[in-house]
Amino acid sequence: MDFSVLTNNMDAFLEGFKTTIIASLIALVCSFILGTLIAVMRIAPLKALNWIGTVYVEFIRNIPVLVIVFFTYLAFTFSGMTAGTIGLTVYTASFIAEAIRAGIMSVPKGQMEAARSSGLSYGQAMRFVILPQAIKIVIPPLGNQFINLVKNSSLLGIVAGGDLMYQGDLVNAKTFAYVDTYVFVALFYLVLTIPLSFGVGYLEKRLARSN
Amino acid sequence: MIEFSKVNKFYGDFHVLKDINLTINKGEVVVVIGPSGSGKSTLLRCINRLETISDGGLTVNGVSVGDKKTNINTLRRNIGMVFQHFHLYPHKTVLQNITLAPMKVLGQSQKEAEETARHYLDKVGILEKAGSYPSQLSGGQQQRVAIARGLAMKPEVMLFDEPTSALDPEMIGEVLDVMKALAREGMTMVVVTHEMGFAREVADRIVFMDEGRVLEEAVPADFYENPREERARLFLSRILNH
Ligand SMILES: Nc1ncnc2c1ncn2[C@@H]1O[C@H](COP(=O)(O)OP(=O)(O)OP(=O)(O)O)[C@@H](O)[C@H]1O
Ligand SMILES: [Mg+2]
Repeated sequence: MDFSVLTNNMDAFLEGFKTTIIASLIALVCSFILGTLIAVMRIAPLKALNWIGTVYVEFIRNIPVLVIVFFTYLAFTFSGMTAGTIGLTVYTASFIAEAIRAGIMSVPKGQMEAARSSGLSYGQAMRFVILPQAIKIVIPPLGNQFINLVKNSSLLGIVAGGDLMYQGDLVNAKTFAYVDTYVFVALFYLVLTIPLSFGVGYLEKRLARSN
Repeated sequence: MIEFSKVNKFYGDFHVLKDINLTINKGEVVVVIGPSGSGKSTLLRCINRLETISDGGLTVNGVSVGDKKTNINTLRRNIGMVFQHFHLYPHKTVLQNITLAPMKVLGQSQKEAEETARHYLDKVGILEKAGSYPSQLSGGQQQRVAIARGLAMKPEVMLFDEPTSALDPEMIGEVLDVMKALAREGMTMVVVTHEMGFAREVADRIVFMDEGRVLEEAVPADFYENPREERARLFLSRILNH
């Protein structure tokens, strides 16, 4: 292993690392918001909303994320970073929506009935009764989606998104040390995903105990 | 205060409620009985629009339940409901279960809502459980919390759907006692139950349902001793002989 590949190109690696973190964080927040909205649309007592939600999920989930990222990059005149982040958000939101919907559906029907019959609106019942119960069920699959999101952010490299993968390719072109470079790139990804993975496991255990 | 006139309800092709005419007056305690599947729960759930009626008129305090202009949340404030399986919120303490609706629907302050909650918890005899979670309570205690939760909204009517049928026998009495006390205080109550002791002691009227129809209405003594309808007689002999 040639550590000079790492030390000589530290700036490039760190630059890519930073971009990967930023793109992942933005996509994480946005896909969580979008995914929650779509999940609520899918189960709201309104046919038109159900339909929009279902079409979104079925459509997006069944297209390769690479195609979605290419599409956002080429169809609009976004930078690689913007296009990649939007593509990731759109794609991940469909999975998050499904995880959240499954969580909401797993809360017994009587909970909604009890809440509504006491005069709470649908929104209040969701917020105070259903979602707090659903979140416990949703956290493990959600955590896995976030880990996938970080890994999938490597697709930014393909549209010159300036992320870790992209910087790795630049280092390759300069040093020809392909194997070493990818090992370092992988290590940088692990620095992000392993703590995430432990975090999810920890939350999962804590939630299990609170029951 | 509750008036069904020619109410029909369908689930798809299935005719669950057939031409229901029924009036429940303020302060009355009405017990609904009938075989499984006869539409008792459906009848009850139409009153607070957990189910919608297909045609006919249904009013509560003169307000049409089915009318699009009726604010359903406002209507429901006045109608408490107690379910067979309690449906307490498992992530909230007993106190929080009771204060949620008064705070969010009636806009009470936390202090005010908690005072009311404690008052009703005391009334149903489990004030000491205010800080517990539902999973830490017995079935009978949970159902009493559910009753307190309904009462905390100070409703004009309370609906009960088989409130004791999910309970172990030794806990049925404690829940029925709470309901009897409530009946004696003049609460308007519609109760689906096969507990004859309760019905005889506090019901003003028995409504017997069969296959989606109200077949017979009578005062408890008459109904239990001398039902007019053959179906009712058959049904009574079945529940009494097991
Ligand atoms: N959501 C639904 N969709 C279709 N059919 C339903 C639905 N809910 C109830 N039913 C049917 O309507 C009929 C009446 O049901 P309901 O629950 O009102 O009966 P019930 O008298 O309360 O019976 P039980 O004593 O078993 O509780 C039953 O045959 C039931 O299968
Ligand atoms: Mg029933």
